[in-house]
Formats: sequence, structure tokens, C-alpha cells
Amino acid sequence: MNDTWTERLSEYIDGTLPDAERAALEAHLAGCTACRTTLDELRRVVARARALDDRPPAADLWPAIAEQIGVSSGAHHVVSLAERRTRRVTFTVPQLAAAAAVLLLLGSGGAYLALRRPPVEGGGAIAQRGPAADLTTSPVGWVQKTSSRYDAAVAELQSALEQGRASGRLDSATVRVLTQSLVTIDSAIVQARRALAADPGSAYLNQHLADTMRRKLELLRRASALAPART
Amino acid sequence: MLLNIAAVITLAVTQQTDTTVPVRPGMRLDVDNFGGEVVVKAWNQNSVRVQATHSSRDRIDVEVGASTVSVKAESRRGIAQMVEYQISAPAWMNLNLHGVSTDIEVDGAQGAVTAETVNGEVKCRGGSGQVSLKSVQGAVRLQNAKGHVDVYSVSEGLTLENVSGDISAETVSGDISLEGIESASVEVSTVSGDVTYEGSIKDGAHYRFATHNGDVTVGIPERTNVTVSVATFNGDFDSSFPVSVTNTTKHRFSFTLGSGSGRLELETFNGDIRLRRPGQLHDKHHDDQEDH
Amino acid sequence: MELTSPGAATLRRDPDQATGGGGTGDAETADVALAASGDGRAFERLYRSHVARVHSLARRMINPDVADDVTQDVFVRAWSKLGTFRGEAAFGTWLHRLAINVILARRTTLGTERGRYYDAENVLDAVPGRPVVHELSLDFQQAIGRLPDGAREVFVLHDVEGYKHEEIADMLGIVPGTSKSQLHHARMALRKYLE
Repeated sequence: MNDTWTERLSEYIDGTLPDAERAALEAHLAGCTACRTTLDELRRVVARARALDDRPPAADLWPAIAEQIGVSSGAHHVVSLAERRTRRVTFTVPQLAAAAAVLLLLGSGGAYLALRRPPVEGGGAIAQRGPAADLTTSPVGWVQKTSSRYDAAVAELQSALEQGRASGRLDSATVRVLTQSLVTIDSAIVQARRALAADPGSAYLNQHLADTMRRKLELLRRASALAPART
Repeated sequence: MLLNIAAVITLAVTQQTDTTVPVRPGMRLDVDNFGGEVVVKAWNQNSVRVQATHSSRDRIDVEVGASTVSVKAESRRGIAQMVEYQISAPAWMNLNLHGVSTDIEVDGAQGAVTAETVNGEVKCRGGSGQVSLKSVQGAVRLQNAKGHVDVYSVSEGLTLENVSGDISAETVSGDISLEGIESASVEVSTVSGDVTYEGSIKDGAHYRFATHNGDVTVGIPERTNVTVSVATFNGDFDSSFPVSVTNTTKHRFSFTLGSGSGRLELETFNGDIRLRRPGQLHDKHHDDQEDH
Repeated sequence: MELTSPGAATLRRDPDQATGGGGTGDAETADVALAASGDGRAFERLYRSHVARVHSLARRMINPDVADDVTQDVFVRAWSKLGTFRGEAAFGTWLHRLAINVILARRTTLGTERGRYYDAENVLDAVPGRPVVHELSLDFQQAIGRLPDGAREVFVLHDVEGYKHEEIADMLGIVPGTSKSQLHHARMALRKYLE
């Protein structure tokens, strides 16, 4: 076995050897059993490495992570706003309470979303991803089927806003502004979706749609405080 | 915008309250208001003076705790308060100001500032450390601040001038204008509005300016080292100096200036993207505005 | 001029990309958007789909004893940095890069700098402070763990994770040539442990 050549075997396997050297090495391999054996072993090492399975940790790390990032690892509530809310709801007029809650959410940086969402089957263990089903649907990107979760969250939050409006708990001007802003975002979403339908592979359009949808959720997150105050 | 509340309080007699309390370095000023105005101006004394104009039905409560001075209006009848606050506070004091139908104004602060309102404008001159200004239906303007800056509005524009530090600015409907910025991290986005930036573009730093309906105009200083990523669906790209595009897809392309060390992302779905030398930024901007 | 886009490393073995950008990535994009807006449950779903990959990476790259800790750290950081995820690469790719950064940062604080790179062909025998008994009973995975740190990192990043030498050199602060030769030595050493 010739060291000069064995040193190059890995590059040969990886296809990074310049053409001239590759040809020379191949010529050498034809006549060198030792190098051919080594090459074969190295190939098996590479194949073995690629075949390594990923295993999850023995213990579930989620509860510790959830605690550190300040979300509940339990079933439904991501974080309790109750404490902060009672501090704030010193205003006795319901309208004030609702409006103050908007402020709270403005400041709370987004811990809330699951707060208003219905209990999910299975009590928190999220196993129902159904990737196989997703994979077989149309390739139009996530436009068509963006996750029923998103739609459900939007519907939920919109109805919360509607309740806030109907019950007069929020200043009508604020409701109008929020509604107009939602319309603005919705029309941006519609445009982005149309564009994406025509060009599903566009990274920009995918990202832009995701960004715009995220903004809608954020706005609704703020608006959701307009639902009847919890007492 | 405060008419509905104003109607309620005209039934009551207007009253003035003027209270001064001593404070120690490190203390924070908390103000809660419903309607009216909160104006906080820095002064050179280690005390907080609260001057309030309010209904005789309301009582202004200035509470000095171990680490905070807390200002709010109490009302026996539980009716919406309309209070105009003029507050003088030491420049070093951290400010935590909340209102509902309230305009908030801060002048000369040197500490952290949090100012949040639903229906009203927020104007702040000064501030350092964490500076967070938010309104649902009001414009937000910040000048001469440094630190971690976070400005937000739902339906109005955002203006930042002479601000240094990490900056995040977001609105749904409104223009965002940044001038005299010194920052290594800027994240700006609006859905319907123009974005204008004039400030540093540093090596290794990250800047992102995004809108859906609107133009993005950015001033690029000479000898800038930045990799620029431009994305638009319906708009045009226009640069007042030559660039050599290296990486093109249908709606996005990139190019490098200098060493390409910084990262600048420019995105608008429907608008145009313009690169300008800093001095040229304003001329074009004004031209556009005259069309409206 | 070649333009390199930061954070846009492509993994040959990225599961999201391997599916041709199909449904998994799409549903995940929605979860990423939800998580970025503060939805802990969406983030938990992301955790569930990616924890095995991150944990395995940590186990192989650094040390099985600290893999739990490192994995936790990776997800905590991912939560706080989600806002900076721009969707240029798949979420899995982004998370993976984040994990590598966390691991590489951790490695230096653990004082694992000793014995980083070896020229000897039989690198396994050259590692100080590691038991040499039962070497031949090691399985392939354990044998990877016995490689000197530098060779192990290069081997895991290249052969297991599918990064290119240029990318690895960037991450580890070495030149691509070093990455190539470490990879070769690691492979040579691991031949013995093929089952």
C-alpha cells in the first residue's frame, strides 16, 4: 500500500479529487490490492456514518425547556396572565379593563396564544403530525393547507375581537382601527398567496407570506384582549 | 380623539394637584393614566414633581415605594379618569408610562423608558438601555436615544432620529423613517407604508427593512462593506450607484459592496427599492411625498 | 464574485429538503410562525420533531453526559432567536446550525481543547486519558466518541451531517485542508469498528 495514494482515498470517495489525480489514482488502484481494500473499508465507514440513526434523549427534556422559556409544559395554558391582569384591572369600567389588557399584551411579548385556544386532544403530547398525509398533497407550498392550526387560531382570535366589539368593551375607534389593520394585512396575505400560487418555489414569497401571517397573528393576539374580561 | 371622555368630565369641576416627593437613585417612575396626557420632563433634582389637572371627583395618588414612585388617579365612582399630568423627574430615573386614551411625551430621559398607550401618540426625546414605545392608534417618535429600542404602532407611522443601539420598529399601516441611526442590528417592518433609513451600515451587522405596500429607500454610505439582498414582487430596484448583481432568482437577488461583511435585507412586495448615497436620500423622498 | 449567504448552509441530509420541500416543511413553517409569535404549543411540536436530531448531534459531537444539557440549551436559544429565523433555509437547517454553534461554544468552555488534532493514523490509540482496554469491543458509535475532538467534529459534521469541508472549516476556524486530512484520519481509524 502506498501512503501517497491512501492519503487521497477519502478525497476520491468524496469526489473532490482533481481530474488528473483521479485518473492517476484509478490507474494505481487497478494494480494495488491493499489500496482497493482500504478504499472499500473507507466507503463502508462513510456508508455506516450515513446510516446512523438519530435517537431522542432517554428522558423528556421538554418540561425543563418549557420552564426555562416561561411556557407551561402542561396541557393548555402557555402562560397565565391572571396575576398581571388583576393588577391592571383597577379600572372599574369594563371598557378600561379591556383596553388596559391590550396594553398588557402589547408588553407581554407573546406568551399567550394558546390561552384562548380550545383543549387539544391528547392532553399535550403532540404526536399527531400526519406528515405522510401532508406529503401527498399538492406541491403548492403551504398556501393551500397552511396548517389548520393557524386558521383555527385566527378564527378564535377574530371571534374574541368580535365579542369585544359586540359587548362594547372596547372603544369603537380602536375596534375600527384594529379591523382596518386586519383588512390591510389580509389583503397583503391574499396578494402573497396569489403570487405564491403562481410561483410556489419562491423563497421570498414563502417567507413573505409567513411573515405577513405572523403579523396577523400578532395583531389578533393584541386584539384578543378585547374579549370579555375574565374576573 | 378624546371627545367621548371629555364629555363625561365636563360635568365635574376641574382641579389641580401639585405634589413633590423625594427619590433615590435607582428608583423607577410608574404612571398609569386613562385619558388625557402624560408629559415627563427631566430636571436636575432628586425629586419627582407631579402636577395634575383633573376632575374634582378624582384623587391623584402618588405613592413612594422602596424602588418605585407610582402615580395614578383614584376615583370613588369608578368612572374613567381624564387627567393631564405634567411631571418633572430626575433624568436618571427609569420611566414606565401607561395610558389608554393618552398622549405620552418624554423629554430628556437618560434611563430606560417604557411608554404604552392604545389611543394616543408617543413622543420621546432621550432614553437609554431598554426603550420601548408602543401605541395602537397613534404615531411614535423617538429622538436622541441609545440602547435596545423597540417601537411599535398598529395604525400610524414611526419616526426615529439620532438613535443608537439595537432597533426594532414595526407597524401595520404607517411609514417608518429612521435617520441618524448608529446600529449593528435594525429590524424594520410595515405592511402598508414606506420605509426610509439613513444611518450606519457596519461590518458584520444585520439590517432588515420590509414592507408589503410601500417603497424602501436606504442610504448607503461610501466604503460600506455589506451583502445586500433585494426582494420585490411587483416593484423596481433603483440604485444611484453601480452594483454588480451576483445571485439572482425570480424575485430576489443579491450583491456585495466592499467585503460584504454586513448583511442588508430589503423587501417590498408592491413597492420599489432604492439605494441612495446619504445626501440624496431626502430629495427623492420629498419628490415622492409631493405626489400624495 | 461568489456570494455566500450567511446561515444558508445546505445539508445533504436535511430531512426537510430531502422531501423536496413538501408538506412536512410547510406545516412546520406554520408552526415556526406560530412559535415566533409566542405559541408554546407550536414550539413544543417543533421540539418533538427535532429533538432526536439535535440530541444525537450533541451526543456525537461533544459527550453523551452533557447531551441533555446541550439540547436543552439549544431549544431555549432557538425560542429566543426564532424572530431572527428568516425562512431562507429550512427550519431544521437553521436549528441545526444553531445547535452546532451552541455545541462548539460549549466545547471550549468544557476545556476539551486537549488532543484536538492528531496526525497519527491510529488516532484512537493516541487519545490521552481515555481507557484503551476493550477498544475492540467498542461499537461504531462509541468509537466515534473516542476520536480526538477535532477529528470527531470533522467526521460528524462531514460524514454524518453532510456539511462540506469549506463550511466545516468556517465553523471550526481551521483551513479546509485540515478538515480534509482530519476526516481521512478519522475514517481510517474507524475502519476497525465496522461491524
